[in-house]
Amino acid sequence: MNIEHFLQKISEQFESTDVSQIVPETEFKLLEEWSSMHALLIIALIDAEYNVPFSGEDLQNCNTISDIYNTVQIRMLHND
Amino acid sequence: MHSFNLSGKTILVTGASSGIGRQTALTLSKMGAKLVISGQSERRLNEILVELENDEHLAFPADLTDSTQLAELTEQLPVLNGMAFCAGIWKSAPIKFLQPKLTMQLLQINYLAPQALVSQLLQQKKLHHRSSLVFVSSIAAQHPYKGGSAYAASKAALEAFSKTLSLEVAHIGIRSNCVAPAMVQTQIFEQSQNLVSDNLMTQHAQQYPLGIGKPLDVAHAIAYLLSDASEWITGTTLRLDGGLSVGA
Repeated sequence: MNIEHFLQKISEQFESTDVSQIVPETEFKLLEEWSSMHALLIIALIDAEYNVPFSGEDLQNCNTISDIYNTVQIRMLHND
Repeated sequence: MHSFNLSGKTILVTGASSGIGRQTALTLSKMGAKLVISGQSERRLNEILVELENDEHLAFPADLTDSTQLAELTEQLPVLNGMAFCAGIWKSAPIKFLQPKLTMQLLQINYLAPQALVSQLLQQKKLHHRSSLVFVSSIAAQHPYKGGSAYAASKAALEAFSKTLSLEVAHIGIRSNCVAPAMVQTQIFEQSQNLVSDNLMTQHAQQYPLGIGKPLDVAHAIAYLLSDASEWITGTTLRLDGGLSVGA
């Protein structure tokens, strides 16, 4: 798992948001395009790509994309 | 009020070890039914046997998705006057990330298991004349939500199955109906709460004029459909939603 790949996967879940706007510091819930559907997609993406538990509650506790990335990384360490 | 009573009726309850199934078993036993309870955990079934009113009930642990176990269960069953099919699972994924494996899991437990069980019951003549079969569906079958395509499909399949069954067994006096609850406080509720976030679930609950449901609300509806009081009702789905869909 690396941050570039993660950012690319996250950016693929958006339609009108430019890739350049998806960086670790991005506060994703403030993106114009953000909706409850994106929350569902990101949770499912994490399950499919990284196979770790990540809930709606977890997503709520994250503000930036790097918050999500860090949570996933910690969960992956616990999986090993 | 005799028609509402279940005394003298032998009823199979599947998924009896938790949630709606557990409450259904408790309620039916209070109404005089003799029960056969089924579920995956032998330990939990034995705990529930102790809680049931009087002690003439039986427990058969079985994984209903395993055809051998299903055939064994049916063979051991006494001839029934009714069945409440409460075994079910809930899983969610948006279609973009929906794996066929997850869909198959949902279909297997929520739809194929009841279908296979009913086939066996009919083949082995385990249903008395005037039996009533009740399946627990969900309002999701008619009112989908994001992430729920596979779950909704499994329950819609179940409802279509129940309607077809009602036609095929009417000549032997057997009835088949579904109950379709909206949000009910069970383990499945907690599971979805965890996935979706407390906040969204609280918002959702606020849309229910009568509040969200309790397992007992569903158990009472099932008891009615199993009783002779509903003897002219077949092929229907009874929606239980605390008024949620009235203004929709």
